[in-house]
Amino acid sequence: MTVVSGKWPKMTTRDEFRFLSDLVFTRSSADHTMVSLRDHHAGTTRFANNQIIQNVDARRGILTVTVAFDRQHGTASTTDFTAGSIQDTLARAERIARVSPADPEYLPPPDPCSFPIRDTAKSETVAAGPVKRLEYANEAIGHCRMENLMAAGVVSSSGTAVGIAADNGLFGYEYRADGRFSLTVQAGDATGWSAAAHRSIDHLKVQERTLAAIAKAKRGRDACELPAGRYPVILEPAAVAGLWTWLIWSLDAKSYVKGTSPFAGKLGQVIVDERLTLRNDPDHTDLLGEGMTHEGLPSIPSVWIDHGVLKQLAYDRFTAKAEGVHAIPTLEAPALSMDGLSLHSVQDLIKNTERAILVANFWYIRPVNPRDLMLTGMTRDGTFLVEKGEIVSPVKNFRFHESPLRVFQHLSAWTAPMEAVNSETRKMLVPAVALPHFYFSSVTRF
Amino acid sequence: MSTPTWDEFAELALKRITVSGAEYGDMRIQDSHTEHMEGEDRRIASIRDVRDIGFGVRVLYHGAWGFAASSILSLEEVPRIADLAVEIARGSASVALEKVRLAPEPVHRDRIVTPYRIDPFSVPLEKKADLLLNTMETLHRQPGIARSNASLWVRRDKKLFVSTEGSHLEFDLLAGQGDCTATALYDSRFASRSFNTPHLRKGYEVIEEADFLREASRVADQAVEKVKAPAVDAGQYDLVLDPEHLSLTIHESCGHPSELDRALGYEANYAGTSFLTTEKRGNFRYGSRYVNLVADNTEPETLAATGFDDDGVQCQRWDIVRDGIFVGYCTNREVAPKIGESRSRGSNRADGWENIPIVRIANIGLEPGSATVEQLIADVKRGIYIEGHGSYSIDQRRYNFQFGGDAFWLIENGRRTHMLRDVIYHGITPEFWNSCDGVADRSFRRRYGFITCGKGQPGQSGWMTHAASPARFRRVQVIRGEGS
Repeated sequence: MTVVSGKWPKMTTRDEFRFLSDLVFTRSSADHTMVSLRDHHAGTTRFANNQIIQNVDARRGILTVTVAFDRQHGTASTTDFTAGSIQDTLARAERIARVSPADPEYLPPPDPCSFPIRDTAKSETVAAGPVKRLEYANEAIGHCRMENLMAAGVVSSSGTAVGIAADNGLFGYEYRADGRFSLTVQAGDATGWSAAAHRSIDHLKVQERTLAAIAKAKRGRDACELPAGRYPVILEPAAVAGLWTWLIWSLDAKSYVKGTSPFAGKLGQVIVDERLTLRNDPDHTDLLGEGMTHEGLPSIPSVWIDHGVLKQLAYDRFTAKAEGVHAIPTLEAPALSMDGLSLHSVQDLIKNTERAILVANFWYIRPVNPRDLMLTGMTRDGTFLVEKGEIVSPVKNFRFHESPLRVFQHLSAWTAPMEAVNSETRKMLVPAVALPHFYFSSVTRF
Repeated sequence: MSTPTWDEFAELALKRITVSGAEYGDMRIQDSHTEHMEGEDRRIASIRDVRDIGFGVRVLYHGAWGFAASSILSLEEVPRIADLAVEIARGSASVALEKVRLAPEPVHRDRIVTPYRIDPFSVPLEKKADLLLNTMETLHRQPGIARSNASLWVRRDKKLFVSTEGSHLEFDLLAGQGDCTATALYDSRFASRSFNTPHLRKGYEVIEEADFLREASRVADQAVEKVKAPAVDAGQYDLVLDPEHLSLTIHESCGHPSELDRALGYEANYAGTSFLTTEKRGNFRYGSRYVNLVADNTEPETLAATGFDDDGVQCQRWDIVRDGIFVGYCTNREVAPKIGESRSRGSNRADGWENIPIVRIANIGLEPGSATVEQLIADVKRGIYIEGHGSYSIDQRRYNFQFGGDAFWLIENGRRTHMLRDVIYHGITPEFWNSCDGVADRSFRRRYGFITCGKGQPGQSGWMTHAASPARFRRVQVIRGEGS
């Protein structure tokens, strides 16, 4: 297979972005002008029923211009980077701003700063084309075929040029690589799943994760049905990440100030087990840290929950200013850790458990009640009964009805943080955990 | 040199595909214009105007697909992308076991234009901003309202579809929608209530035909009543569900399981599969005799009524569930032959130019019955009337679901009484639809659209409309949506 994608496309460079943004600034008549860039090139190879079903490659560059006259602001975007189109985009943004009502929450662009330089542009990922993706897909499919199982999954690689600039001298540019692999193995009615995401496509551990998904699928055959109710649980990292993602999304500071947050009045108070700490760790090599945010703020290491105590909220710039918060923390690289002696692996958690439900992953988690962060969702692709230190049987999938603010009040046991990603969450580092009580409200048919 | 026309770009791409030896290829060029205005707490928080232009080339080579796309529409880029699509398809073909065979479709040459009375992009932004500001002011007039939101969204898609089979389809499509939400605070609790116009393929009249100020006043009153309402007691209730609420129930519990690609395992790694497996077609009792679910991509103003899909297949109307029996799937040209169907149902759609089309839910609606809403309620001893969307979740085969809603009223002895809060119901899809024992008549029918239906890897958003008249369901399990 010959590949043209190794040479294509030529993504927008730092100098080109500077040229484009300067072009906008030169022609802008607004009091404040900001320009942002997202030039994204991604390839995805998708497989199901042990064969390739989709093989795609797409590049989409978009330039966004935001201008303000005093407190009247407007935003326009274009995917056409020719001078005429950029001029038109600026004109559209100015036209919007001139007729927009003054926004009492408008703030000028952030002051210029030095953005942290992070190792986000992994050349092996950027260079990976359909051949590399096909190689990984075939590896997963091959293992499954040998076991007479069905594989469905995806291998993707992407590179994104991201830029932010303002007419006050603010300028940032970063190239971000992203490689992903996920696999669902079907063994009749049973399924096993595994997934990975990394800046480096060489760190996806395709073979290791494929064998893990196969083992889960084979072990999941002939599931028995247990009644709904409260059970002790062992949650694997993906399941923990699913619950914590919703907790993180609910940390909005404006909702907090307005009284419409599940955390209202809890800043500075203990909200979860006092041994738990949630950090932003953008320099961790296994997380997807970034140098800057889309608002033009530096991404910085920070502590959000310190030994169970809520320390930070997710601030927009206006609310931060109103609340006297000067350095706005970011949380794009979440790392959750637990003090105390951790166990080595999920297997060790199982060995130390008298009776529990082991959950590999949750699916379709949605809020039920934003007041107490009550969530619902389904177990998926690996749910088992553990008794006396061993997996004794697969069980039919449960629907849960729980709040992470309740179930993470006390952890029975835990591992060190591990990589976790699933189809609905950003990558995190979280421990696998054993929890004493978890409410499953109903059971499904498989 | 003048800028080439879209037809000239298309000819360039099709020539490259044809000489490559591929058995099929198509190209979509799309220019999407979106205007989105958002209001929050009495202010216009953002107005965004997005122009998104690009093209995608799809190639079927020796029974395997390749697809490439770019936002650079130029004489250099078009042949490069066409060649890349061919190369990717060749790579896929080298490992293909089962070759893709497309269901035949006549060659079409047509132009589809959304009829409209008011061009949504001609309406001054000041007028749109005034509408949202006045709407939010109306929401805040009700004491107890702590927060307000309002938004307007309009979109125009100009698109060209051409295929190596000779189809040539031009589209100029509009869509629009508006909404507002009031959030009430009371006794450390908060609750929201919303008004949504449907997403429809119309001009700005979709906004002007709605009385935002009257609706804002209503939902503000109801938000305050809701936050002060008693929480529901868990137990079995009869439910009467309004059309907006049912649109989501239909989408999740009938729409997705009726996508044939899911039933065949294509989505096993992400969106999931389907309990409506192929051997059930024609003999599985999905619902009661009152349940007739019809896919209709020909109904004017609905989101999936685009004349043709992204396979170039003409939009159609067909049965999904007839007299309670599951009888039909949503299909495309690739999967239709796998169940012995000679023609695709025309449900293959891509999210913009940069994505490959995949099977999508059609405009599936619940056919009207013969009752009035009053008659449905009159025959309920202990029940709940539910309006709008709330919490929702369903398993990956679409059996076990759980829904909330936006507003709930207790029904006692045939009368709708006071509001309730924190109502959540759950069930198993075929059991739920088999408990349906009444659907209101056509005069109560309403349509609601979705533009954020997630599916596929990379993720794509799908658009479709679900119509329904209110319907009644017996002995459904209800729980309280808060922690104990």
